[in-house]
Amino acid sequence: MGIVIAVISGKGGVGKTTATANLGLGIALNGERVALVDFDIGQRNLDMILGLENRVVYDMVQVMDGEANLKQALIKSKVSDTLSFLAASQTKDKTVLDSQRVKKLLEELKEEFDYVILDAPAGIESGYEHTIEFADAAIIVVNPEVSSIRDADRAIGILDSKSQKVKEGQEVVKYLIINRIVASMVQSGEMLNSEDILEILNIKLLGKIPEDKGVIDASNQGKPIILNEKSVAGQAYQRIAKRICGQTVRMEDIESENRGLMTKIKGMFQ
Amino acid sequence: MKGKQFSVKVYETSIEDEEKFISFFNTHYILFKDRLIVVQGELSPRIEEYLQSKSLLYANNIVLPSSRSRQNIQQELEEQKAKELKQQELLAKEFAQLSKRLDNNLKVEDGIVRSGQEVSIEGDLLLLNRVNSGAKVRTSGNLIVTHAVEGDIYCNGNFMMIGNSPKANIIFNGVRVENALLTEKLNKIELIDNEIIITAILKKEINWA
Repeated sequence: MGIVIAVISGKGGVGKTTATANLGLGIALNGERVALVDFDIGQRNLDMILGLENRVVYDMVQVMDGEANLKQALIKSKVSDTLSFLAASQTKDKTVLDSQRVKKLLEELKEEFDYVILDAPAGIESGYEHTIEFADAAIIVVNPEVSSIRDADRAIGILDSKSQKVKEGQEVVKYLIINRIVASMVQSGEMLNSEDILEILNIKLLGKIPEDKGVIDASNQGKPIILNEKSVAGQAYQRIAKRICGQTVRMEDIESENRGLMTKIKGMFQ
Repeated sequence: MKGKQFSVKVYETSIEDEEKFISFFNTHYILFKDRLIVVQGELSPRIEEYLQSKSLLYANNIVLPSSRSRQNIQQELEEQKAKELKQQELLAKEFAQLSKRLDNNLKVEDGIVRSGQEVSIEGDLLLLNRVNSGAKVRTSGNLIVTHAVEGDIYCNGNFMMIGNSPKANIIFNGVRVENALLTEKLNKIELIDNEIIITAILKKEINWA
């Protein structure tokens, strides 16, 4: 029986879908069976970032409607054979979702996979509520800026009041990923540092991802950045994937600039 | 001053028929030998003479302390007891009400108040966590927040205590509190004569190093 992880952010454009694709792939490369489900109905993007857009035949809504079965709709990744993907419907909108159908779909997916990772739509509308409703854990993606933090805070508040687990008196485990950190801007005080963000949101830190120009190109090419071993963001995603799989990985300090020669040399041996 | 206390038995009467009075005392005067006869009303010289001849002590028209029977005293005691009991009951009731009010009034919350959440409290609130940006806290009574506040606070109590909160939006009894004035680690805000008074409770820690 797998667990359901919702990747949420509140605000759009913070890198939620990119994080979902990279973490899904990262966990799958660690040998776990992973299903990525795009819950952003009407605005699906996960297929493109995974490089699977031309292989989508059936989508999630068609599975729910019984037009196709789950096996037909799940798309196997080219990179990892333990990673599968279920596309969102591009033609419908989020109102097609309802609790019963979402629950049934997730139950079926949990039978087959170790991790069911849901890419939530931006905002806090019904589509978001359906994404978090049956989640066991949530990964909150934020950028180090106040609007992203406030929207994430709002999203966590809704998660804490509307998810099924909370209604049953349990707790949804929440982890934070801080995305697009620019060390020089943190140092100059233009960007919030991770300590401030953790104090505001009051949840556990899963990892910090530095700003990396390669991410956009990787998304355009449909090859998630985690496959690029030289990329700093890719390395950060690898560390986070290992943490999710239960390994202890040291939290890297990506917020101070390593300009000096000695720190660079030290860095090589870490 | 010197004084002596006597216990005297008093026979109180009034005279309607002088003949009857005299005939009554003729037969019973022995019984009244050591008593004081108080005649209320008119006392004629004839009767006075008669009483003197029988060497009886008498007085005319004096107010005697009202005598109470044992039964009366008992009743009075009981009444007093009942009154006391009632008062005690009333006190107990008042006390219970007071403690109930205290119970109801001070709420302690330790959860973080996130953006979009609203905490509304009738009475006093002790909040042991943050109030994040976009969150709202309303209290009809006093409010103490121990952590940082970045959201909206509406407090209608006699006082509120809050830390240094440059991002907070604080309305205290309908008046906006300038948060540039909340400079210390813990500030007390009161409304005295329609004027907001801010006093420092905990001063900022000074780093001497």
